[in-house]
Amino acid sequence: MNQNLQNIKIQYLEKITNLKTDKELESLRIELFGRNGLINDLFSKIKEIPNEEKKQYGADLNQLKTELEEKLKNQNVSKTETKDLKLEIGNSEIKLPKIGHLHPITQTERQLNEVFKKLGFSVYNGPEIVTDEFNFARLNVPKDHPAMDMQDTIYIKEPKYLLRTQTSTIESYLLAQKNKDLPIRAAFPGSVFRNEKVNRSNHFVFHQYQAVVVDKNVTMKDLIGTMDLMFKTLYGPDVVVRYRCKYYPEVEPGVGPDMQCFNCHGKGCPLCKYAGWIEMGGSGMIHPKVLEMAGIDPKIWSGFAFGMGLDRWTMAQKNIKDIRTLMGGNLAYKPNEL
Amino acid sequence: MKLIYSELQKFLPDLKIEPTQLRDDLTMIGHFTNFFEEIDGQIVFDLDIKVNRGDCLGYYGLARDLAVFYNIPLKNLSSEISSSSNYSLPIKVNTENVKRVMSVKISNLKNTLSPIWLQTFLKCHSVNSINTLVDLTNYIMFLYGIPNHAFDTAKSTDNLIWEMNSKFKEFTSLDGSKLILDNSILMINNPDKSLSLSFWGGEACAIGLNTTETIIEVAIYNRVIVRQNSRQLKSVTEASIRLEKDLDEELVSTAFNHLLNLILENCGGQVSSQIFDHYPQKIELPKIEFDPQKASLISGIEIPTDFSLDCLTRLGCQINNSLITPPSIRKDISIEADLIEEVIRFWGYQKIPINQPLIYKELPDITPKEIYLIENLKDKLTELGYDEVLTWPLVTNAVNQDTVITTQNSINSEAIYLRQSLIPSLLQQLDQYNRFKLPNPQFFEIGKVFFKAGDQFVEKNALGIYSYNSDQLLTDLQQLNIETNITDNNFIEIIIDDLLKPDQYTPKSDNNTAYELTSQIITLNANLILDTKEDPIKLIEKYSQIIGSEFLWKLIITDIYQDSKSNKYRYTFQASYFNLDDKKAKSLHLKSFGLI
Repeated sequence: MNQNLQNIKIQYLEKITNLKTDKELESLRIELFGRNGLINDLFSKIKEIPNEEKKQYGADLNQLKTELEEKLKNQNVSKTETKDLKLEIGNSEIKLPKIGHLHPITQTERQLNEVFKKLGFSVYNGPEIVTDEFNFARLNVPKDHPAMDMQDTIYIKEPKYLLRTQTSTIESYLLAQKNKDLPIRAAFPGSVFRNEKVNRSNHFVFHQYQAVVVDKNVTMKDLIGTMDLMFKTLYGPDVVVRYRCKYYPEVEPGVGPDMQCFNCHGKGCPLCKYAGWIEMGGSGMIHPKVLEMAGIDPKIWSGFAFGMGLDRWTMAQKNIKDIRTLMGGNLAYKPNEL
Repeated sequence: MKLIYSELQKFLPDLKIEPTQLRDDLTMIGHFTNFFEEIDGQIVFDLDIKVNRGDCLGYYGLARDLAVFYNIPLKNLSSEISSSSNYSLPIKVNTENVKRVMSVKISNLKNTLSPIWLQTFLKCHSVNSINTLVDLTNYIMFLYGIPNHAFDTAKSTDNLIWEMNSKFKEFTSLDGSKLILDNSILMINNPDKSLSLSFWGGEACAIGLNTTETIIEVAIYNRVIVRQNSRQLKSVTEASIRLEKDLDEELVSTAFNHLLNLILENCGGQVSSQIFDHYPQKIELPKIEFDPQKASLISGIEIPTDFSLDCLTRLGCQINNSLITPPSIRKDISIEADLIEEVIRFWGYQKIPINQPLIYKELPDITPKEIYLIENLKDKLTELGYDEVLTWPLVTNAVNQDTVITTQNSINSEAIYLRQSLIPSLLQQLDQYNRFKLPNPQFFEIGKVFFKAGDQFVEKNALGIYSYNSDQLLTDLQQLNIETNITDNNFIEIIIDDLLKPDQYTPKSDNNTAYELTSQIITLNANLILDTKEDPIKLIEKYSQIIGSEFLWKLIITDIYQDSKSNKYRYTFQASYFNLDDKKAKSLHLKSFGLI
């Protein structure tokens, strides 16, 4: 048994032995097994225990709980009559206390936040109802771009007010708000909206993660190296990602990361539409016009931005087949699963 | 976009590379190639073309890129034809939305079914073969990315008029669809009939096998008008897809001459009019200041300046000291950054190392403190045993009609309002959990709620919590230092923007597993009689392993009883199963506890 638990056990077995009145016994029972009692407190610390020790710690703790309960009961039994040897365990079922869980999207966001915090990034956010200026114009999206169609964008008051369609919108706000506080390193998870019918594969709301750097002498090498670090954090060190030329209006040059299909390992299968690769998002060097529109001189400052969707990755990781499960659906967590 | 290897090789005779390599190279230089397949003996690639590369919606544009990438010559397949006719076509162009149109009349032609090569070409592009004349117009569209059209003059007359519609109410397309017109539609008419849309030919002047005389036209229009017309008429064609892009007016003559040559070659006939060329405003090409060292500075790797200049020359750029003029076909190149991207993509993105991320830099923390508050609350709530859920921000019902924000065009008719409260969504979540018989649910959500205040759209961060035990919920709120007047409720919602925000936050790591419930959770009991007293935890572990984690939701021991007569111990297990129907759950249960 864990040394700390062993000490507690010795200490409390002695206390119980010395109990004389029912009142003292009840008081100690609450001290040990009350909602804010010692045993619950010890259970709540399970999260702080290293993973490899959690199982043993849990078993030790249950053993301690059982022994102290029995000792208390015996102490009690010695003063009252019993008809048989039934062990009344009642509400004290043999199990770990309920542990709450973070949503898998939050878990992924935190995993990524940790990576970026280690590189000096802040976490940022922005509004969900935005103007067309920040969602499109400031990201160099041409006025007649198909993305602005009513079919793709959910408008609150067309054409000016809409629900943000991408986390790049947060970038527009960030650059406008912090254009005098350069350099900037910021990452921002967020939900985004598209005018899609909700079904097993599509949803009108989904989650993206974006990171932005503005500094002097930022290069594509910085961008690709940082993205690769992110992918290795999410998918493990053996993940194979290629970086190719891709177009997004807000970046130039644009970079498209593709992950080698984990199902067919590049051979081609229905999952990757026989390409052998799966598109993982978009990125690139921030377009000079985007910097200019934010009041940042592109002759002095440069930067990169990249974004990726979180929903499909989370679904693959948790073996979730229906995207609706992630939001208000059938998502659940096993009780006591650490 | 489909690309037949052998057709590509007509532009690039020296291209001998393996299809797999070509697929990968096309992708790396920006033309994502999904796969290639064999159709009627032809190797056909399937590509996604970038939205800013309208020139690559034709073989010619892609061939130009590959000629630069592989450093091989590009063959010109078109040769100019002059007309000896004195007849001037009475064509009128009455709108500024025509950027360029070339046209000519061909007489005494003999139209037939298409030759096999042409039928195969169209089949590879998933287009039905009609007849030689029509198929050649489609062939040229795929080759150069510029749509074009042939009119049967016996039906259309020579009096073609390009105009914004003002007199016709209806148009019948080549496939017989009847479209309702208004004044915003760009048309090709004659004085009496509507003949064609800018992007779709009409039944009224369709080419048939008996056609002996035709007027062909190759045109580029104001792409915004084409897109608006296509959307308005709910008609997307191969032509509209291309005409919505920024196409090269200069390439019109190349496509026109190639089409004319092919018609004369395959259908015979003679050119019987002067060549009509309406090109009111010649395009002005940009002159871009370019520093060849910038490719290295932006990429972060050494790219020789000689390579930069050579690459741009091969792309067709005119270089005058530091001023670069891109070729007219490259509408996507207008600033220095565009030229830099060209150099880097042909140098090769794959040459940029992937193992050199940014290094740590101490910068002021600009994280809004509300994020710390939200993360902190999430940690505390999970520690108290609550699960985090996310629900739809768009909802069916308004809480307050006066302040609700309504979306204008949500195609999800059941969700048109932005939520004003988290509670209705959490109620739905509870309903769902109850349907699945999830025991003792307690969960929370932190998300935005929205409302109108005058002309303003306001969004605030809210925390919604549900617990099956309302007393416990109040106790838990105290632990969160949240005060509330609500005394007896299983749901509580608080706007958290006004709560005290922490200056710092250290996230707790959590990597739990989440499950997709597909059926009710089924709970079954099992009594095991044992001769000796056993450690209950070890028993739970043992039977958890026997049942397996795939379907076991929860296993507990609810009772331990020693029978005074037999002196044996009875352990009562309660096992909950998920994603199994009743029958399968019962079967697994009995088998696992050795009860059958």
